[in-house]
Amino acid sequence: MAVTEQHTRRLDLIVPSATTPSLKACCHSGGGIGAGPDAPVVALVGAPNTGKSTLFNALTGSRVTMGNWPGTTVEVSRGIWRTTRVAATCTCEECTCDPEENRLEITLIDLPGAYSLDPHSPDEELTRELLVGVPDDERPDLCVVACDASRLANSLYLVAQLRERGLPMMVALTMMDVAAKRDITIDTDALADVLGCPVVAIDPRRRAGLEALAGSVREAITQPPAAPRPVPATSDQLELDDDRFAWIATSVAAGTRAPSEHPRTFSDKVDRWVTAPVLGPLIFLGVMWAVFQVTTTVAAPLQDFLDGLFSGPLSDGATWLLDQLGLGGTWVQGLVVDGLIAGVGMLLTFVPLMALMFVLLALLEDSGYLARAAVVTDRLMRSIGLPGRAFLPLIVGFGCNVPAISATRILPSARQRVLTALLVPFTSCTARLTVFVMLGSVFFGAYAGTAVFAMYVVSIHLVVLAGLVLRRTLWRTMGTEPLIIDLPAYQVPTLRLTASVTWVRLQGFLKTASGIIVATVCAVWLFQSIPTQPGVAFGEVPVAESAYGVAAQAVTPVFAPAGFAQWQTTSALVVGFVAKEAVISSWAQTYALDEPDGSDPGTLGERVRVDFDTSSGGHPIPAALAFMVFLLAYTPCVATLAAQWREIGPKWTLFGVAMQLVTAWVLAVAVFQVGRLFW
Amino acid sequence: MYVGTDLASAPLNTHLTLLESDAPTSSRQRLSTLGLRVGTRFSLIQKTAGGGRVALVSGSRIALGADLLGQLRAEVAS
Repeated sequence: MAVTEQHTRRLDLIVPSATTPSLKACCHSGGGIGAGPDAPVVALVGAPNTGKSTLFNALTGSRVTMGNWPGTTVEVSRGIWRTTRVAATCTCEECTCDPEENRLEITLIDLPGAYSLDPHSPDEELTRELLVGVPDDERPDLCVVACDASRLANSLYLVAQLRERGLPMMVALTMMDVAAKRDITIDTDALADVLGCPVVAIDPRRRAGLEALAGSVREAITQPPAAPRPVPATSDQLELDDDRFAWIATSVAAGTRAPSEHPRTFSDKVDRWVTAPVLGPLIFLGVMWAVFQVTTTVAAPLQDFLDGLFSGPLSDGATWLLDQLGLGGTWVQGLVVDGLIAGVGMLLTFVPLMALMFVLLALLEDSGYLARAAVVTDRLMRSIGLPGRAFLPLIVGFGCNVPAISATRILPSARQRVLTALLVPFTSCTARLTVFVMLGSVFFGAYAGTAVFAMYVVSIHLVVLAGLVLRRTLWRTMGTEPLIIDLPAYQVPTLRLTASVTWVRLQGFLKTASGIIVATVCAVWLFQSIPTQPGVAFGEVPVAESAYGVAAQAVTPVFAPAGFAQWQTTSALVVGFVAKEAVISSWAQTYALDEPDGSDPGTLGERVRVDFDTSSGGHPIPAALAFMVFLLAYTPCVATLAAQWREIGPKWTLFGVAMQLVTAWVLAVAVFQVGRLFW
Repeated sequence: MYVGTDLASAPLNTHLTLLESDAPTSSRQRLSTLGLRVGTRFSLIQKTAGGGRVALVSGSRIALGADLLGQLRAEVAS
């Protein structure tokens, strides 16, 4: 939800008077409240990781991102909570009330987690702004403060501040099951008395207690807020804090019964291994390796199947259909088969990879492990100005850069998100692997594996070096905040949450990537179809003489110092800008050969080797290495650009493109110029 | 009696009382809202990778980075 939209809303609850005879005869007094600008607005607030987003999804049927670790919600979500004006259906005889009249629609907003109204990050600042920074008539009609029952004291600081300001509010107690396991019992009535607002126990993960919550909300939005909690007449922050913590202690004592000692919990026992000095990092690497392995190995056959489906039966079927329509061999066939079907097909082959990656990420998030991973990697990542949690997107990037860019959302600071999103493209994704494997076998023979492995080593060094350079130039003050993380209890991931989070992320990928990929593929096809010489029909021009080929030849001299200044390779790099998967097929098309897995797989390699030999002046191996380094360092694909555009905006996306191109060119030239002294 | 040490040297699984904090203001505020402030009774229950600790504060587990430990001083609670 846009803040401005929120600001312009009239938040008052308006209950129109009954206007029809039937309503007067009904046991339900008053009229109905429809959705729209006059609907009451309820804000979900609370400390991070108390279940706000899960509650929001349960109440609205929406699917905003959820996770069992701090900082999951980084923007405001808005939805409609459809409930009823009274809890029970009307039972009076001869009742003429219309169920529609009983309907109550509430605008529900999910605010980023905040421990207090004293913001430490942009998302917390947004929460404060929407709660207390706007005029009274633009504030929510009610704040529902989600409080973790197992760690009640931690959640009550925000409650204390809201109560001091006299905002209409109530408390929703979550994590009651965790509290019970810790032998903590809560008397909600006693707690409500001492807090001065309604208190309801709920379990949003299992959708329990939601009707009780609805009842309390219905009542609360029609009642005037309680008088503000009195505070000492002082501006001394320490004195105010003393008062708040005394109030919190009194409230906890009055409303809860807990053991005087805190016994070690299951989470503590797991953490003894998972966050331990030596074992912790090893477990983390093992978990990340498993994510990478499962994603690539399980998704590979599905990707191959989809690839075969689109390049085989679907393309053949479309070609046959166009032939029947008399459009065979025309530009329409080129656009539909080579452009649209190939483009959409390429996008859809990524879907299994994405889905698996998102499922595994959701499981890690929902379990609570990610907070521990952040602890384990904190010191290493801090050396390049990033918190430990930034390690996760970078690891994901070795599978695919697109979800890795999206995964930067888990970082609390905007600067950290930008820096990580700029570093992710340097991680060597699986799409580049296909090209590395081909070039490795062509140029390095028995040492192909070593050459490919070297690219991964270069990739890791690129991430670290680029991080150090950016930190010491653009963001010198970043990363000075020491680690403070509230560790949530481990939870068994639920199928519903995992599926929901996965679907939200997959949907976002498809929405963003589909348009750009299809448009780019069509553009490439278009330029390959445009003749540059008179007398040649559109769509029937050889690639070398097309606008595409001519443009590639124009930029080719740029790569002369890197040893691969042949237009066929340059054009492959241009196509590789769209997606690295297309590099090999571009070579095959340009050389007018079959795919490398076709009838004569060796020929393409021989032609590529001959061209590298020619362009490098007899130094094909350093030229090939230079090409591989360039391929590793320059823009991964348009889908990654689209993801960057969405996450960090156009300015940083374009900066990243420029940085990657410059880095790639400089490194490629360096590799070739040094390499040709030896080979 | 173990008196006035930074948290990097403080014993594990022992009740401690926070004496003073030289942490940056934002960190001090964050710790405060999490319940760890001067006078608070807590304990350190785990060493973590990278030299940090996990503190048990009013039932909450709070991971503290190594950089922070030297900025917080505590004594063994009586």
